[in-house]
Amino acid sequence: MTFTEGNLEIDIADAVGGRRFEDQHGLSHCMKAVDLVVELPDRYLYIELKDPQHPRATPKSRGEFIEELLSGRLDEALKYKHRYSFLYEWASGRADKPVDYLVLIALNTLDEAHLVTRTEALSRALPQRGPDGQPWQRDIVGGCGVFNLESWTRSFPDYPASRLVAPGQRDGGAR
Amino acid sequence: MALTRVELENFTAFRSLQLDLSPGINVLVGANGTGKTHLMKVCYAGCEASRSPVDDFARKLAAVFLPSGHRLKRLVRRESGADGKATIRICRGSLTLEQSFASRPRLVSLRPSTFASDEPEPEIGEWGHEPVESVYIPVKEMLSNAPGFRSLYAKREIHFEETYRDVLDRAYLPALRGPTDERREGLLTGLQKAVGGRVLVENEEFFLRSEEGEIEFSLLAEGVRKLALLWLLIRNGTLPSGSVLFWDEPETNLNPKLFGVVVNTLLELQRADVQEFLATHDYVILKELDLRTTTADQVAFHALYRQEETGDVVCGSARSYRSIAPNTIADTFADLYDRETKRSLRGLAG
Repeated sequence: MTFTEGNLEIDIADAVGGRRFEDQHGLSHCMKAVDLVVELPDRYLYIELKDPQHPRATPKSRGEFIEELLSGRLDEALKYKHRYSFLYEWASGRADKPVDYLVLIALNTLDEAHLVTRTEALSRALPQRGPDGQPWQRDIVGGCGVFNLESWTRSFPDYPASRLVAPGQRDGGAR
Repeated sequence: MALTRVELENFTAFRSLQLDLSPGINVLVGANGTGKTHLMKVCYAGCEASRSPVDDFARKLAAVFLPSGHRLKRLVRRESGADGKATIRICRGSLTLEQSFASRPRLVSLRPSTFASDEPEPEIGEWGHEPVESVYIPVKEMLSNAPGFRSLYAKREIHFEETYRDVLDRAYLPALRGPTDERREGLLTGLQKAVGGRVLVENEEFFLRSEEGEIEFSLLAEGVRKLALLWLLIRNGTLPSGSVLFWDEPETNLNPKLFGVVVNTLLELQRADVQEFLATHDYVILKELDLRTTTADQVAFHALYRQEETGDVVCGSARSYRSIAPNTIADTFADLYDRETKRSLRGLAG
């Protein structure tokens, strides 16, 4: 299945289901949500896509994103997106498999040291373990990771991610 | 004038190295054993040789490298064989300082004042017409061990690299007469804030005068002592325009939160025409430089590495952090990241 969000496209061949979630779940007035929910045979993937180098992104919006990233506000937002998405799916009877949370930030200045730091920060913001560090009886979130396009491709060679329009090129208007 | 080029042949780890230097900051990165410190010591010895007709290049080389018996032949690259010959060439524009020495010297001496070299001593004359002020900050902090060290070093054959004595000589210099320029005054204020006070010397002993009173250096954290040394060197005019600062692993024993102060100080000194050489293993130092450097700053990253085929140490230079290749520090993070991702995602990540 191919999923598109803005200028980014991900192809997840072994997906057994999935949908754009954030803009279609109908409760955006009270529940934040991740961009995509994808069902694999053994787990769900909650996927959040950020594209600060989108051709239509302005220097101001790029600067604001980087500020959000560095200040920790992005981790806060990601935390709530996961929490509400999980709650929504649970209430809809779709919390029957473990959930992994993947964040793809298409920003070529994010190096591996940043990604390690951001993954750790996201991991700390999520309730991966229960009280006293003990496992939950049922996991709220399994694994998580923050990626750039390069590390996504390296980690998931079977799930190619790409830009529809390269940075610096005109994309011919809104999609 | 700043050092412009260094060439090493059959010297310690190097078979043949030619390196063009930035007049600003030269950052040396690379795995252990790729010669970063050796490169800095050679250049430091060259700077020192310009300042004194007595303090010639060969003697300084032996004093800072401490080869057994002060025999320079021990600095000839071992793989070059029994008939090997090492050559060092350092350039400052049109001025060149050159020194060669062979594995099989005709003269052998154990005294540091004469040398195991069969080559004519280099012509220091022209090189010395434009003496270069320089300071070498070694990895290990020395201020807390300073009292009595210099007199002991002068009288006894103790096995310490001369860089330790030299840095203490600089640290003990009294403050310059007259006002400090605005840029350096700003740096002093920033460093004072970071260390929590001013440095003073009483009977060869260093103290930090803070709000809590006077604290002996031996009671201060080592990282604070390093910043305090920098404060002293700026305060006493050791780092004027045209001088050269060598700093081996500034990150050692320093909390990463203070790296910003260090890097800002280094950049500001570079803007005041101080040439610098840093050897580092630290990502945060590199990233602070990357983030704080403006287009007007002159920073060169020199990545030393061993060629896979030959094992020879070679160097790739880059003008920006992202262009450093190979970057062993970034590679280490990439490895950590990949393993973390694999562990976290339980078989999903390849």
